[in-house]
Amino acid sequence: MKHILLAGAAAMALTASLAHAEQVTVFGPWLGPDQENVEAVLAAFAEASGNDVRYVGSDSFEQQILVDAEAGSAANVSVFPQPGLAADMASRGFLTPLADGTADWVRENYAAGQSWVDLGTYAGADGSDSLYGLFFKVDLKSLVWYSPENFDDAGYDIPQSMEELIALSDQIVADGGTPWCIGLGSGGATGWPATDWVEDLLLRTQTPDVYDGWVSNEISFNDPRIVAAIDEFGVFAGNDDYVAGGAGAVASTDFRDSPKGLFSSPPQCYMHRQASFIPAFFPEGTSVGEDADFFYFPAFASKDLGKPVLGAGTVWTITNDSPAAHDLMAFLETPEANEIWMARGGFLTPHKGVDTSVFGDPTLAKMNDILLNATTFRFDGSDLMPGGIGAGAFWTGMVDYAGGKSAQDVADAIQDAWDALK
Amino acid sequence: MHPALQGILTILVGVGGCVGYFYLSNQFLDKVLCPPRGKNAGRNINRANIIRPWLFLLPALLALGTYLAYPVYETLRLSLTERSTLPDGSTAYAWAGLDNYRQMLNEPKFWEALRNNAMWLAVVPALATGFGLLAAQLTDRLKWGNIAKSLIFMPMAISFVGAAVIFKLVYDMRPIEQEQIGILNALYLNFGGEAPIAWLTVPFWNNFFLMAVLVWIQTGFAMVILSAALRGIPEETIEAAIVDGANPFQVFFKIKVPQIKGTIMVVWTTITIVVLKVFDIVFAMTNGQWETQVLANYMYDKLFRSNDWGVGSASAMVIMLLVTPILVWNVRNARREMK
Amino acid sequence: MDIAGQKSSLSWAVNISVVLLVGLWLFPTVGLLVSSFRTSDQISTSGWWKAMFPSEQNLTLRTDAPELQVQEGNLYIIEGRLFAPDKDAVISEWGVSSREIDSYTAGDTAPLKKGGEVTLQADGSYRMENTEPFTGTRGTRIFVTATTPPEFTLRNYQNVLFDPSNSEGMAKAFINTLTVTIPATIIPIVIAAFAAYALAWMEFPGRALLIAIIVGLLVVPLQLALIPLLKLHNEIGIGKGYLGAWLAHTGFGLPLAIYLLRNYMVGLPRDIIENARVDGATEFQIFTKIILPLSFPALASFAIFQFLWTWNDLLVALVFLIDSTGDTTVMTKQIVELLGTRGGNWEILATSAFVSIAVPLMVFFAMQKYLVRGLLAGSVK
Repeated sequence: MKHILLAGAAAMALTASLAHAEQVTVFGPWLGPDQENVEAVLAAFAEASGNDVRYVGSDSFEQQILVDAEAGSAANVSVFPQPGLAADMASRGFLTPLADGTADWVRENYAAGQSWVDLGTYAGADGSDSLYGLFFKVDLKSLVWYSPENFDDAGYDIPQSMEELIALSDQIVADGGTPWCIGLGSGGATGWPATDWVEDLLLRTQTPDVYDGWVSNEISFNDPRIVAAIDEFGVFAGNDDYVAGGAGAVASTDFRDSPKGLFSSPPQCYMHRQASFIPAFFPEGTSVGEDADFFYFPAFASKDLGKPVLGAGTVWTITNDSPAAHDLMAFLETPEANEIWMARGGFLTPHKGVDTSVFGDPTLAKMNDILLNATTFRFDGSDLMPGGIGAGAFWTGMVDYAGGKSAQDVADAIQDAWDALK
Repeated sequence: MHPALQGILTILVGVGGCVGYFYLSNQFLDKVLCPPRGKNAGRNINRANIIRPWLFLLPALLALGTYLAYPVYETLRLSLTERSTLPDGSTAYAWAGLDNYRQMLNEPKFWEALRNNAMWLAVVPALATGFGLLAAQLTDRLKWGNIAKSLIFMPMAISFVGAAVIFKLVYDMRPIEQEQIGILNALYLNFGGEAPIAWLTVPFWNNFFLMAVLVWIQTGFAMVILSAALRGIPEETIEAAIVDGANPFQVFFKIKVPQIKGTIMVVWTTITIVVLKVFDIVFAMTNGQWETQVLANYMYDKLFRSNDWGVGSASAMVIMLLVTPILVWNVRNARREMK
Repeated sequence: MDIAGQKSSLSWAVNISVVLLVGLWLFPTVGLLVSSFRTSDQISTSGWWKAMFPSEQNLTLRTDAPELQVQEGNLYIIEGRLFAPDKDAVISEWGVSSREIDSYTAGDTAPLKKGGEVTLQADGSYRMENTEPFTGTRGTRIFVTATTPPEFTLRNYQNVLFDPSNSEGMAKAFINTLTVTIPATIIPIVIAAFAAYALAWMEFPGRALLIAIIVGLLVVPLQLALIPLLKLHNEIGIGKGYLGAWLAHTGFGLPLAIYLLRNYMVGLPRDIIENARVDGATEFQIFTKIILPLSFPALASFAIFQFLWTWNDLLVALVFLIDSTGDTTVMTKQIVELLGTRGGNWEILATSAFVSIAVPLMVFFAMQKYLVRGLLAGSVK
């Protein structure tokens, strides 16, 4: 019933806006298959509202949005993969607060609504907080991808704890295989996959408070607890036996290439830790759920930290105010908008009102389970840090670390960069 | 409207507007403002002659002023200020003196970029000019010399993005158990290398692998110019040397090279300027990681990633400072020519 | 004849060194060209220099699914061929487990883990037998080491140029690129030619200073101009679009254009111009009727330079042209997008890189005569 009411309200909002058809431009980070997905959502909005909606994607979104905003030529709506960058932009007056009542709506209709409100609330140029961003499309990061048939051939079981995962890795080495494929290459963003590793491992070695303190820099980057988490990543990436191509290849292997090692003959590796979007880069014809599957990147059984889960999401903001931009935001609140992308795959949502039976493939339901079973959910820390760190010094620091620098040196350098920003 | 038609129309408007300015402004000067007729004919001709150069120059000066001189000024200003956002959303620039420069000098990445730029400056112009001279001399009397030359010159036509892709394939690395698809690793293993190397991640040496790309692009330019200079050497001097018993190497180093020294300098400095501005190759291939940072990419990083305009502009001024000697040299040459 | 002998051995040495040098310079490009005609499997399993020879690949193939099984007597049978009907390949070794991909040779029969057995022939045809029905939804994986004959394909080009999901974008980008490139080449030439003439042949105060300034501006790095100028464009209402991109390309290309053209024009014979002046020709006439035709090589040379530079440009397009509607995308941007989304696929990378350099290469080879002539005029003094 609530469902219908919501849809009805949205439809009314949309018919009301039919009167003023205008152009709405949307700028986001998606290209390729995801671009088609987001365009499908926007097409539905265009059809419902009569507006002319244009989407442009860019591989260098983080730099392009700065240039455009500085010059005053930003799109109506910009989709940030990093809330930290959105917060920067808000503090410099480039974002328009969302319509009144949006915060209440998110609180009510999103699972863990308050946390999504907090993640989208930033201080504006005048220093007062308002809700600037609406989260639409969430990714799950704490996943390990593998080929079930390869596990079957070798007789491996899915590890239930970090200890078992490390034991399995050693087992694979003993059997003459290579357990992991890790690649940090990503053009101008090279290094980011390692930040996810460090965040996941920090959540598995320290309490969530430490994680939060680290993200806000109340706990400094070169704190021994953080350095230990970086070295924990080194246990995997710094071990020549553990990584396909050896530790030296980690930094230079493209993250889009590295999962392909799971499917080669003979397999170059057995496991790949990456977020829920990675199947887009599996070899053509790979069927998720059959050729490839995933399990939860487990926690240490010896540490009582529950089942932490790392996630991320894209936050939609208004960078060039117009009535139609607010209409688009209202449209994103409808279950329909979510369901269009859900049906096309690769889309998770905290929206409680959606019909989960439309999920494009069964694996998404499994991901939702991981999300629901989490005792701790934390947003990708590097995305929350200021752009210069989370999309700069942290990335390059991790490349330096993979290249052989010590975790302490790397952490010191990142903290220095952070101090310079203050 | 069909996009192609729209394109043609836009092209016509753009080009037509430009040609129209020159035609109409000259017509205006000659027909309306200072017609070379009537009682003031003489005075008008003189006036027209004073005005006309500026008519010819005006668009160029406007464009140069706006697109090059103004940004230089603006960058200097930004490098001496600290930017902040006021509560009402507007941006304020506070005088910061040399703070940005001080901060920059304290960053190891800056010194890394400076060191790498120095290496680029030492290696690329020398190699490109050297290879260019070699190619020019070797192809000089060759039947198929022109074909050879255009093949060596070809990389000039390839975009930096294209060149980056080409060389990524050359430097590609696969784990030892697989077959190498990068030619460099294949050769390396063939000639006794033990394990394939990710060439672009070997600190220090990777700089040279990046430089190779620019040498590859610029050699053709050096070759073409030097080859013409070689042709310009009077035959008699060379014949005289041969009669005196000079061998081909002596002829080349003792007779030819000294005579085209001026041209070699021009080529050298031109490539030096390209090197100082080198950005795309580093950006596309390593993005300054693994200790391959260069100044232009450092600046881009500061401007667009760290969003630190002060330091970004300061590093831009360092690039300006480095090109100044060449600028002065160029200007002095130009003035000498004028006399 | 001693000298003749020496001479011919020297000319051999020269020929060989030039061949080597040209080879060295061509090698990287040829690698990419060859790769653009190969399938992604081929590219990732053997070096492009082996493209002309049969290559040995390790492949993971799948038999038909159990739903296609037939019953013969008390045996359940699945028969078929692992390769596509038109593919020639010879299997040498194979296996049924990812741990042992080479335990059998062609013609052998191997037991299957889930029951039954499989026999595989060198040409890829197989026969699976089991006394029980085969179960599951998918076929069995078979790992083969197969030798495939050299094979070249145009499919990569088809994908990049004609695939519906990006062909529209490519065609649009092609026209947009031309729309940027042509005026961005012609406008600076026109402006620079007038300016160069004034600087070369007109007397006015401050001429030397102006020349010095222009030479100085040759070295200004482009990146630092981006934000101040985009801001300016927005303030005066140009915003992002073709006009802004033309102006930016014009501004950045002018110093070189004026420098090249002035150097060339200064070298033109003084008498012609003096005579024309005496004959009462106006400066405008002298310029259009005498100077321009005589300066053709220098004009053409700069035109080629500017064309190559604007065609290959990405930075200026990103900052000054491509707005949030995406209607004004250009080729280089399209290629970079492909790189971003298909970063691991060498066949796509190679092909799109070649698509982007095809036009500049054609222009270059067609016009290089002029390029060289104009360059010389500009720098050899």
